[in-house]
Amino acid sequence: MATEYQTDTDTDTNTGPDAADDESSLPLGLTVAAGAVAAAAVIPFIWLLRTGSDVGIKNAIGLITRPTTIQILINSAVLVILTTSICVLLGVPLAYLTVRTDLLFSRVWTVAVSLPLVIPSYVGAFAFVSAFGPRGGFQRLLSPIGIEQIPEIYGLTGTVLVLSLYTYPYVYITTRASLKSMDTTLVDAARTLDHGRWATFRRVTIPQIRPAVAAGALLSSLYVLSDFGTPSIMRYDVFTRVIYVEFGAFGRDTATLLSLQLVAVTLFILWLESRIRGEERTSAGGRSRDIVSLGRWRLPAMILPAGVSALALVVPVIILISWLGTASATVSESLAFQWRYIGNSVTVATATAGVAVIGGIPVAYLSARHDGFLPSAFERFTYVGYAVPGVVIGLALVYFGTSYAAPIYQTLYLLIFAYVVRFLPQSVGSLRASFLAVDPSLPEAARTLGQSSVGAFRYVTLPLVAPGLLGGAALVFLTTMKELPATLLLRPAGFTTLVTHIWAAYKSGYFGQAAVPALVLLAVSGISMLVILAQEGYDVK
Amino acid sequence: MGDISRTDERATVGTHSRTRRRFLQAAAVAGIVSAAGCGSAGDNETGTTTEAEVSSPIGTSDSEQIGSGRSPFGERDISDGVSMSEMPDLAGELTVYSGRGEALVGELLSFIEDRYPELTIRPLYNSASELVNQIITEGQNSPGDVFYSVNAGSLGALATRERTQSLSDETLSLVPEAFQSPDGSWVGTSGRARAIPYNTDILTESSIPTNIMSFPDTTEFDGQLGWAPTYSSFQAFITAMRLLEGESDTRQWLRGMQELNAQSYADEFQIARAVADGEIAVGFTNHYYIQRVLARRTTDAPLRTTFTQNDAGAIFNVAGACMLDTASDTTLSSNFVRHLLSAEAQDYFARKTFEYPLVPEIEPIGRLPSIDSLNPPESINLTELSNLERTITLLRETGVL
Repeated sequence: MATEYQTDTDTDTNTGPDAADDESSLPLGLTVAAGAVAAAAVIPFIWLLRTGSDVGIKNAIGLITRPTTIQILINSAVLVILTTSICVLLGVPLAYLTVRTDLLFSRVWTVAVSLPLVIPSYVGAFAFVSAFGPRGGFQRLLSPIGIEQIPEIYGLTGTVLVLSLYTYPYVYITTRASLKSMDTTLVDAARTLDHGRWATFRRVTIPQIRPAVAAGALLSSLYVLSDFGTPSIMRYDVFTRVIYVEFGAFGRDTATLLSLQLVAVTLFILWLESRIRGEERTSAGGRSRDIVSLGRWRLPAMILPAGVSALALVVPVIILISWLGTASATVSESLAFQWRYIGNSVTVATATAGVAVIGGIPVAYLSARHDGFLPSAFERFTYVGYAVPGVVIGLALVYFGTSYAAPIYQTLYLLIFAYVVRFLPQSVGSLRASFLAVDPSLPEAARTLGQSSVGAFRYVTLPLVAPGLLGGAALVFLTTMKELPATLLLRPAGFTTLVTHIWAAYKSGYFGQAAVPALVLLAVSGISMLVILAQEGYDVK
Repeated sequence: MGDISRTDERATVGTHSRTRRRFLQAAAVAGIVSAAGCGSAGDNETGTTTEAEVSSPIGTSDSEQIGSGRSPFGERDISDGVSMSEMPDLAGELTVYSGRGEALVGELLSFIEDRYPELTIRPLYNSASELVNQIITEGQNSPGDVFYSVNAGSLGALATRERTQSLSDETLSLVPEAFQSPDGSWVGTSGRARAIPYNTDILTESSIPTNIMSFPDTTEFDGQLGWAPTYSSFQAFITAMRLLEGESDTRQWLRGMQELNAQSYADEFQIARAVADGEIAVGFTNHYYIQRVLARRTTDAPLRTTFTQNDAGAIFNVAGACMLDTASDTTLSSNFVRHLLSAEAQDYFARKTFEYPLVPEIEPIGRLPSIDSLNPPESINLTELSNLERTITLLRETGVL
């Protein structure tokens, strides 16, 4: 994998004084730790290879080369490219506004624009169809003033709209972390060198945040690739649909083979991304005091975060509330909301975020600080779990659990492990971007002052990457809060989370009963985001 | 109203006496002497028990009352059928993989669990097909005892993979043979008919063909008809068509529907909603989706049900249960399935999930379309519907999937 970047500036990328740039110099403990994490993330997929290979080659080739497959691959590609572009176009300006400017209520906006991540895609998509579909609520609202036709929501347009609204927070959160830890004296320097705001942004800030934007965009695009709920409700035919049809028809083996195809596409995207991410040296100094004054734009600037969060949050909330009133008298008492669902959701999400960050540190650090095959391979391995639909991970761990780990099967331990396998890249991506931004001369200075390498990491590097670490934790937390397919396969009997409860109500058409837990999910996630952000302490506005 | 459906009139008549005889035998063995009046009223052609018959609305949730024949879930007497109180007690721990949603059957499972202090039910809810995949993947290490499914297809899929074991005769005898696997590996617990929802503002009932094969020629439906090709009940319907009309006619039908610009939806609930909203005029769904949409609208929606006659469009499928080969306590598992066929449970399905009871002694009630309007094809065997492979291939070849 890509090894050519950093070749001319990497004199200071190695921690050891005499370290040469080859694998023999990799720190042993760190490499073993990173390797163990990567192995844990990949081992479940051996099942995928085994089961997929049970399908006859002839069948496999037939399935892969039929015209519909080609068409839906093209559909998927168009969807991924458009959605990822919009995510960047939304996420980066939002991050810049909330971190680097004197935007009013920036903390409120930070939480508000992160929250779309917790809305399950089927709830978001369904709300949009209900609101903007033909004869939907919005159209009915407009019909008295003579508007009988609103633009088609089904198809590519709607799918891109909904997926962009619910995946841009990946870009937002990673970019935000990077902007937070960026050394703004560079900006000051550029300004003194007679650069305008825009030129400074283009020539200083963009190169600094590029790895973080790339990490977020990668997460967005892989999420879009493996999502099924939104395209199916928006009636746009994509690759995951083939997989689900096979699962639905008990063609489990064929379905896993197709998932391997998805893994192959993912590996291609990862390869592509590592080819274009190029120069990654950035620097974080922790000195970030430069705040751009928006001046008379201070009020209008709120339109962007307000508009985006209104569309992504208010539309589903209004739809959910409107469902609250619908004929709930006939509802089954099994759908009564219970407070312990909140505890269940928060517990597993917190545990997962903790484990994913701790496990992500060695992988991200090794790959940010060292070149070569192993660091890069370990990092990329962690993305495999992220690339396949949740149901595939779920089944892989059903096999793993019943065959090798029976005592923890259908317990929270295996469930949390599944979440970690699924969401590890979110913490790795966020952390890696932050580690890249730490000037290696800083921990080295600590070493010369007598700190051990662990001490230098603990007291110098870690505080500098705190925004990235917390950003990664936030990403993992929020996505775990909404995870459904693996939860359904691996949860202990009777274990209900907010999302499984929403699903149970939604699936039986009790939309009113889906509304309460969905609103609670939003509220609890919002509060949790505040708690996470408060850990940044020193400079959260 | 007649019996459960026309296909099974013969089977039903046959089972009436057999049911009772077997039941009495079982009761003798289990030592339930107090089971008086249970099956004895069964042959009394039950024309009088309707929901209108409300005498005492008090104490309906008291489980002590059940044996006396009052529905625990609503207002009617259900003195026919076999009450839970006449069935063996359930004791132990039971893991139920339920493809039926918690919103639909959770109340019933809790009701059964609450009846028996020694019983713990561990329910795992997921979609039926995912549970089948899970059970297959778990292999012999599966902790599952009972699989409760939304359709015969998922049950058949486990049966053909030899992951089931035969239910007891006491359980099987409660339901006509047409609604169970011939080898006793699964049994239907409630019935659902394929139906045609239509919007009364756009169409009249007479403009909808009574033959499913005529749909592609009905130009009025151009761009106005919704289907859900990824949905299991739709695939069972196409499987039935394949068996009844042959593969080439089915292919032609699928092509014709595509030329008619049939609109694809993710599931059939959405189709029923879309028809009610006038987004489309007509669709293919299971009958109860229409009832659930109607039940949830505060105002009267322009949504009605009609049926095709004697063809694949009118098949009658079942939700049902089987005992897994990994079941740790086979007596408990089989008796649990038997409880799903009790008078109380059958009454529950009619009342809460808008389905047809399969135990002949329990009358359908409420909003259910009259059983006389159902004309399912006679030559279809439910187990045959589980063979989806050819259907999927066909749907793929025509580009529907």
